[in-house]
Parts: sequence; C-alpha cells; structure tokens
Amino acid sequence: MDEAVSVLVPPVPAPSAPPLRVLVADDEEDIRALVGLAVTRAGCAVTGSVADGNAALALARADTPDLAVLDVSMPGATGLEVCEALRADPSTAGVRILLLSAGASFEDVARGLAAGADAYLAKPFGVAGLVHQVRALTARLPA
Amino acid sequence: MTTARVPAAVRRPRLVHRLLAGVAPRAAEIGRLRQENAALLAQVRTRADELDLATRMLAARAQTMTSVIDAVTEQSIIGTDRDGVIRVWNPGAERMLGLPRPEVVRKRSIVEFHLAEELEAEAAACGAAPGLGVLVHAAQEHGSDVRDWTYVAADGQERTVSVAVTPRTDDRGVHAGWNFVGTDMTEVRATERMKDQFVSLISHELRTPLTSILGYLELVLDEDGEPLTDEQRSYLATVERNADRLLRLVGDLLFTAQVDAGRFTLDPRDVDLADVVRAAEESARVTAAGAGVDLVVDLPDGGVVVPGDAVRLGQACDNLVSNAVKFTPSGGRVTLSLRSGWATADGAVSAEPRPGAAPVAQLAVSDTGMGIPTGEQGELFTRFFRSSTARRHAVPGVGLGLAITKAITTAHGGTLGLTSAEGRGTTFTLTLPRTVA
Repeated sequence: MDEAVSVLVPPVPAPSAPPLRVLVADDEEDIRALVGLAVTRAGCAVTGSVADGNAALALARADTPDLAVLDVSMPGATGLEVCEALRADPSTAGVRILLLSAGASFEDVARGLAAGADAYLAKPFGVAGLVHQVRALTARLPA
Repeated sequence: MTTARVPAAVRRPRLVHRLLAGVAPRAAEIGRLRQENAALLAQVRTRADELDLATRMLAARAQTMTSVIDAVTEQSIIGTDRDGVIRVWNPGAERMLGLPRPEVVRKRSIVEFHLAEELEAEAAACGAAPGLGVLVHAAQEHGSDVRDWTYVAADGQERTVSVAVTPRTDDRGVHAGWNFVGTDMTEVRATERMKDQFVSLISHELRTPLTSILGYLELVLDEDGEPLTDEQRSYLATVERNADRLLRLVGDLLFTAQVDAGRFTLDPRDVDLADVVRAAEESARVTAAGAGVDLVVDLPDGGVVVPGDAVRLGQACDNLVSNAVKFTPSGGRVTLSLRSGWATADGAVSAEPRPGAAPVAQLAVSDTGMGIPTGEQGELFTRFFRSSTARRHAVPGVGLGLAITKAITTAHGGTLGLTSAEGRGTTFTLTLPRTVA
C-alpha cells in the first residue's frame, strides 16, 4: 500500500517548535479524517478541514497555512483551480500544496504539477505514504 | 429471200457474242458483288444485332448499377469529378445530408458538406492543400482511406461519418474523380464516448471508497495500541486482500478505457526483463504454492534489457504468470523462461545474430494447465472474453488481463503469441525489441 516515496524523511520537528499548519480539503468526510490523522502523525496540526474548493480558498486567504492538502475533484472549485488561485495570489503563493486525486495517469499528474502543486498522490494512498509525503513537504519549509 | 438477210443474221450473232463475251465477266462480277453485298449485309445485320444486344446489356448493367446505388439508403455514396464537383448522389446521401439529387449534382462540391474547421485543422496537420486535397491525400497515397469526418447537413446539423475514399477511373483507365462512401457513426461514437465516460466515472467513484477502506484497514492492522487476535487479523487480511482485488479490477477497467481512447502513454526507460520476471515470480509464489503449482524460473546469465515502461511490463508479466497459475491444476508446473535472440521478418527467433535479424527479448510463460480450445484462441485477447475452459472450470476472472497484456505488448512494438493444446497446457510468448549494448 505504501506509495514508495523516495524522499529522505526528516525527523519530526522538535516539540518546542509550533507545529506546522495544514489545511485539508476533500468532499469525502472519511478521507478528510484519514488525511487529518496522517497530518497529525506527521507532527503537524490541522488548522482547517473543508469539503469544497471555494471554502478551501477562502480559508487559505483568511488564515494562510503552511501546507494545503487538496482533493482534485471537489464541488465549488476543483483542487486544480484552488491550486492555481493560491499560486496567483502573492499572499498565498508560498503555500506548499499536495494534490490528492482518483486519477492516476501521467496526464493527471502532469496537469496537477502544471497547476502549481508540489506533489501529487493518487488515490488510494496508504496512510504511511501520506505521512511520508506530508513530512517531506513540510521539512522543505524554512522553520 | 432469206439469203438477203444472211449477212445481218450472221452479224447479229457476232454482236451478241461480242456483247455476251463482254457481259459474261461483268455478270460474274455482279454476282460476286451481290454475294459480297449480301455477306456484308448479313455481317452488318449481325453486328447491328450484337450492338443492340451490347447496348441492351450495357443499359441493363447501368440500370443495375443505378438501382444498386439508389437502393442504398443507409450509406451515402457520393461520386465527384477530379475537382470535387459532385456527379453521383445516392438516396443515402440525400437522407444523410438533406438535399435532393437535382440540387447537388454538377452544382455543389463535396467540400461544401464538410466541417470547414475540421478541414482546416487537417490541412495544417498533414500539410495537404486545403479543400479537396485534405480529403483525398491519403487515398491518393494508399489507394483508399477510411476515417471519421464530420459532414454538415443542409439544416446545419453535424454528423460523424466514417468515410471510405477511393479514386475513380474512366473507361480508359484515366483518373476521373473520387468516390466517398459514408456510414453515419454519430450514434455509435456517442455511445462509445458514453461508455468510456461511464467506465472512467465508475473507476473514479470506486477509488474514493476504496481509499477509505484500505486506509482505515491499514490503521487497524498497524495500530500499536490494543493488539488484534490472530483470528481478527486473519479476517482483516481477507478484507484487505479483497479490497486490493477490487482496486486492481478498477485499475484494469480504467486502463482498458484509456487504451480504447488512445490515451495510453508509456514512460520508456531501459528495463531489465530479468528483474521484471523475478518480481512476477515473487508476487505469484504464495498463490502458486497454495494451489500446489510448481513455479520454475529460467533466466539467462546477465540481464536482458529492453526499452520500455517498467510498471507496464511488470503488469503484463504479472498477468501472464497469474493466468498460468490460475489455469494449472494442483501438481502442475508453470515455467517462466527468458532469453535474448534475433528475430527475422517471418518472426523466427534464433540464438545467434543473422543478417537482417533484429535483436529481441523473448519471455515464454508455459503451464501444464487445461489449455485453450483452438477455435477460441483468436478471440482470447478480446476484452471481457473468457474461454470455455475457464468458464467450465469456474476459474475466477473477468477477461481483462490478456487484453491489457496484449495492449502493453503492442505499445512496446512487440508481439504476443500462444500455442496451446486442450488438456495439456499453454505457452504464451512475449517478444519485445531489445536494446543492444
């Protein structure tokens, strides 16, 4: 099940530092909970959990997270649209973005990365793989 | 008294003689001429009869041709001259494009019934002259051409039509124009699109719940807190195995939809097929042991490197091996043998290089299973096809594996063959172009 992330996984940040802030957006409640769990296991904090693209965008603008985990197919705005909008806005352009999608073809991945995502994970993803991915993405951030 | 007339009487026969002497050959000539005349007349009559017959035959033939063309109402048959001006317009064309023959023949060009944007796009793509040139360039090159075009009917409605284009010659064999025979595929193509969308939608919709099932299972199985009993663990392992199976099915469905839609891409690198075979053997080992099937691997020293997509080649190899295991009864044997060789144009593969032979890699997966009836072997690579032996022995499966394996092989420029004898076993041979170091 592990998505075999070939990125060196750094240690979880020291407890003294405030946890990195993660926004989770997926229209499936079960998946949001699963992603939230992985985010917590990766040593980060879920600061927002929403079910549609527009809400994700509004929340990201009001309270900029360090990382946004976005489902590609969501009502309102799709994950790709949210991704492009975040990149276009200077105040949110630096947010790390992880896209989740049920599409797994090369075209899907290419489209996701072209929209400005930092990483792309195809559903179904393993929890362990997601934890690795979140750690890898947040580790690249300046502390 | 009579003597006085003698001279005259004497003279007369002479004259007659002379005259007769002159007339006789003429008469013969006239006779001959008459005969000749009669012969000629007879000949003319025969020729006239023949001509009449030929004319009637031609008329009948033309009538047959016209009636055949006129009887075709589901296909459009359009004949043009060399410039694309329409000369033949059958009822099928009338129906499809909504214009009667008198309004079209000698008045309109075939180009007027095509979607202009499509012709322009095709002209840009193939470099042919815009207009008629775009429609006929492939037929000009290959003798005929069949493809989908968009016709625009008189009422502006667009139809997707599969059009066969062929050149037409006159009685002296000189190029006279073009034939366009079209079948309306609008509904068929719409159905195909719907089917693809449906498969795609189903696959995506199934993946989301599967993500939850597999994700939460992973959490339960890996939970450090309360340990599970062996029984619970075994139940959950069964759930996980079946969820994985469902996931593979979803992936296969989506993949075949992508192949059908031509949206299937490879990520080619150098791949060592020996690694691929080892991985396939490893993933089939547990199932084979459980089924009492002996799994034998025969690999050459050193690797066999092919240019290809490692993931897709792995999938192809896995399919062949898991099929072989599935179709082999307990006590049987499945052999995976890999070798590099040289293939000639006729497909024969030898171990040593030969002039004109291309380097290939060949993977043979043989089993001692139930075999495939000869009559069914041709259909084996068709999606959702299941052999009678598979159905009779209740071997599980949906009939996607070989279709996928074949598609992957073809995309790699390779071939997939089989030999099989019912009751004795089957060998699938996968041949791929090989990279030579």
